[in-house]
Amino acid sequence: MTFRGAIAVLATLASQLLLAVRTNAQEYRGWATTSVQVVELRPIGLDTVARSDVLTDSQGRFFYQGYEVSCTQATSCTGYLPMDDEATVAATQDLNLTYWGLGVEGLSLTALARVRLRAGTDLVWPRSDDEFDALLAYAQYQRGPLRLRGGRQDVRSGLGLSAFDGLTASYAYGSARAEVYGGRSLARGLREPANEALRGLDDFYLDHSVLLLGASASLRTLGVLATARYHREILWDRSSLVSERASLDFSTVLTRVRVTGSADYDFSFQHVGKAQLTVSAPLEDGRWLVELSGRRYVPYFDLSTIWGFFEPVSYSEVLARVGWSPNRTLGAWVSGGRRYYGDTGAPVIIQPMKDNGWRADVGARWAPLPAWTLNGSYQLEWGPGGFLSSVDASVRYAVNDRLGASLSALSFQQIEEYRLGQGRAFGMGASGDFRWNDRMSLMGGFSILRHRDGGNVFTSPWNQARGWTSVRFDVGEDPGLANRERRR
Amino acid sequence: MSAPARWTVAIVVVAVAALGGLAASAYAQEVQFPHETHQGLFPLCTGCHEGVPTGDRSTFYPDPTTCRGCHNGVLEVTVTWNGPTQRVDNLSFSHNQHVDALDAAGDAALQCGSCHIPPGGGRMAVSDEIQLDTCFGCHAHEASSHQVDARCETCHVPLARTAFDRARIESIPEPSDHEVATFLSSDHGRLVQTDANRCATCHTRERCVSCHVDANRDVIASFPAAPPGMELPPAVAHYYEPTTHLEGQWLTLHGAEASRQDCATCHTSNDCLTCHVEPAPDAVAAMPSRADVVAPGVEVVAQAPQSHESAFFMQAHTVLAAAGDATCSTCHQEAFCVTCHDGPVGGGYHPRDFLARHTADAFGRDTECSNCHNTQVFCRECHAELGLVSRGRLGPGYHDDGPVWLLRHGQAARQNLESCASCHRQVDCTQCHGVLGAFKVSPHGVDFDAERAWARSPRTCLACHVGNPLNE
Repeated sequence: MTFRGAIAVLATLASQLLLAVRTNAQEYRGWATTSVQVVELRPIGLDTVARSDVLTDSQGRFFYQGYEVSCTQATSCTGYLPMDDEATVAATQDLNLTYWGLGVEGLSLTALARVRLRAGTDLVWPRSDDEFDALLAYAQYQRGPLRLRGGRQDVRSGLGLSAFDGLTASYAYGSARAEVYGGRSLARGLREPANEALRGLDDFYLDHSVLLLGASASLRTLGVLATARYHREILWDRSSLVSERASLDFSTVLTRVRVTGSADYDFSFQHVGKAQLTVSAPLEDGRWLVELSGRRYVPYFDLSTIWGFFEPVSYSEVLARVGWSPNRTLGAWVSGGRRYYGDTGAPVIIQPMKDNGWRADVGARWAPLPAWTLNGSYQLEWGPGGFLSSVDASVRYAVNDRLGASLSALSFQQIEEYRLGQGRAFGMGASGDFRWNDRMSLMGGFSILRHRDGGNVFTSPWNQARGWTSVRFDVGEDPGLANRERRR
Repeated sequence: MSAPARWTVAIVVVAVAALGGLAASAYAQEVQFPHETHQGLFPLCTGCHEGVPTGDRSTFYPDPTTCRGCHNGVLEVTVTWNGPTQRVDNLSFSHNQHVDALDAAGDAALQCGSCHIPPGGGRMAVSDEIQLDTCFGCHAHEASSHQVDARCETCHVPLARTAFDRARIESIPEPSDHEVATFLSSDHGRLVQTDANRCATCHTRERCVSCHVDANRDVIASFPAAPPGMELPPAVAHYYEPTTHLEGQWLTLHGAEASRQDCATCHTSNDCLTCHVEPAPDAVAAMPSRADVVAPGVEVVAQAPQSHESAFFMQAHTVLAAAGDATCSTCHQEAFCVTCHDGPVGGGYHPRDFLARHTADAFGRDTECSNCHNTQVFCRECHAELGLVSRGRLGPGYHDDGPVWLLRHGQAARQNLESCASCHRQVDCTQCHGVLGAFKVSPHGVDFDAERAWARSPRTCLACHVGNPLNE
């Protein structure tokens, strides 16, 4: 751990201790969560084996201990094979605080910081080597219809999550609201300037910060809630456009039938991006819920990479969902969707790849007794390059309203991107959760996966063991987070 | 003084003396004075009730020793009449004011008996019951009911200025308009705005604040409060749900109409904060705090919007959040989103053991991974740790589901380019697709607008091209 990381850890733990002690705060609210996860799994690696140890099947394919390998040499073959087990411990410490009552009415400060630690073998859990992140850190001034916000913040919209260091100003006038924002753009999912976070990933990557400018307008009229947004990113030196997009999202309820829709347009590549329209109708006093969706998906890449210039195609999907919940103790759902990919225009060699896929899942929840809840679900997904058949079952026992425990089991079979899947994985797990009081809760659990390849050989990449625990402290009234009933 | 003048004065005096009966009725007489028995002795009311016309309460009634002039055991039997003690009431009648007014008006019609003697009674048939119709003869010409149409303050002082005890307060009859179904829910609010004095005749401020959360509202704040020591009947709070609250979208739309004036009848700021996160909107800050409120108010229990009840809300909330924009922030802070989107290790967004079987989900893109994860870093970092990463050269492959993968990968790449980018670096592609690559295979489609691409982001073109591709 670096000195910076150590200081961050100490500061965060001290703050968490403060939160645990100061439980009657009137002018600040927050939470602190300590999460630890232990993972043991088995990576695969490109390895070389002796040709004499390789078997050839009737189709002329080569297999080493059940794994397909490539034999282009007379004496050796190569292929991806299971390596030794590795284990890692990844921990995160999140601290969220919002202060207000700073002497200026409407002024508040918000921060969400994360400290990461790792231990174990050389296996690095994603992001666990990034010791400190300030996920949010902004000052906000809100008076009447005006809201000003400055600092590290993010915008969640039909264009996804965009984080930036900058300023936001929004103004509400009746049922309308307008917002403008701008600042230094942060890399998606990384909360760091793109040119720093992605440095070294590729030789030609960004060498300048990215300037983000955006605006949105929301309107609620005639029962329709709609938001339009425009979003533009350019390099700090203005030498190049990084992205330019717009989105429109809306929601309305027509005699209890909810209709939601969204669409975005990518000016950079001049095409419609993602879009969807969903009609959701509750029937028989809400005991049934029927949902129909049509959606279009195309991956978004900005102009800082070459990926977008490879012209990915979209797929269109129709999706139907039906939920049934006759009472609070019983619920079931089933859904199914079919998607079609656009014409890739790529040359067809030997045989064309699938250009469609479908998915379905069915599940149920039943609480035969107040303390017992049973859950079961089955998911099937079958598309080009991927397949999943997975079943889950779990039972939860609530000892009381503060203590609960669950047992779970699962089994699945899958193939990954154009890679042969073999065998089936079985797993089981247990977890528990305990709420000490309104301020503190604890949860933890473990799960084990074992791969069975038909020959009863328990060696494969799907052998995994995971354990996790988390402790959370809450301070101050925070109804949105808890979403639980509160009575005075 | 002429004879008519004398008659006028006499009549006025008699009338005033009769009105004195109103005051007299404010006195509880231990023994009802038998006026009719003595009618031959007292030609004028003011003979005994001298102070009534002047307002001198000390001479409203005769001195009991006067009685003993006759009732001395010799002439007449002795009596124990000591005069009445003052009765507790809420009347505001002033005899001397009426004397002055009647005198000024020259109104000779009103006599003591007009109020104190029932219709048809003799000159001294004095009754304890006041003849209210006489009052309304002048004061409320259109009054149809004593308790509903009359202006109470004409004759009554506010309850807060009386010495009524609890029993007396409870005995006050309830006006008939209080029995109307809409009286508590809506009517009384209008009535108190137009005639608070009427309400104050029978109620004190304590009755208002026993229901109304907002005790600082002008009409309530100016309402007379009970004096110290006054024992009030226990007040039961009644609350009625306004029709607006029954509308389907009320929970979503109430913010536009929220104000202290409209909401603080029943709610405190604490109710608002059951859902709203601090720092809350101005309308919430303007609401009274529970700590400062007497009334129980209507308790608000945090309730998720109807949309949240959907079994498929997790899938649907993306568009709702994007369309609603500020709506989510009523109950949630951005940090709430982060607990799932970009959550900590072991976060709760993905189902249990998602990692082991996320491939199909990632491939199908039911949810967009890049909303939370930087696919080029997050995904690739993990895939690299697991051995799922390119070595920068073409070789025996990971993709073994079918022959001659390399020749077929173009279609797969265009269908699921995000999956490619979660393991491969861009240089893996440029080694063949770049103009300096091995095969110089153009990755662009037939409709690719090279000129536009160069104009917008020339540096990206240079990842594969040596110079302006338009000149190649």
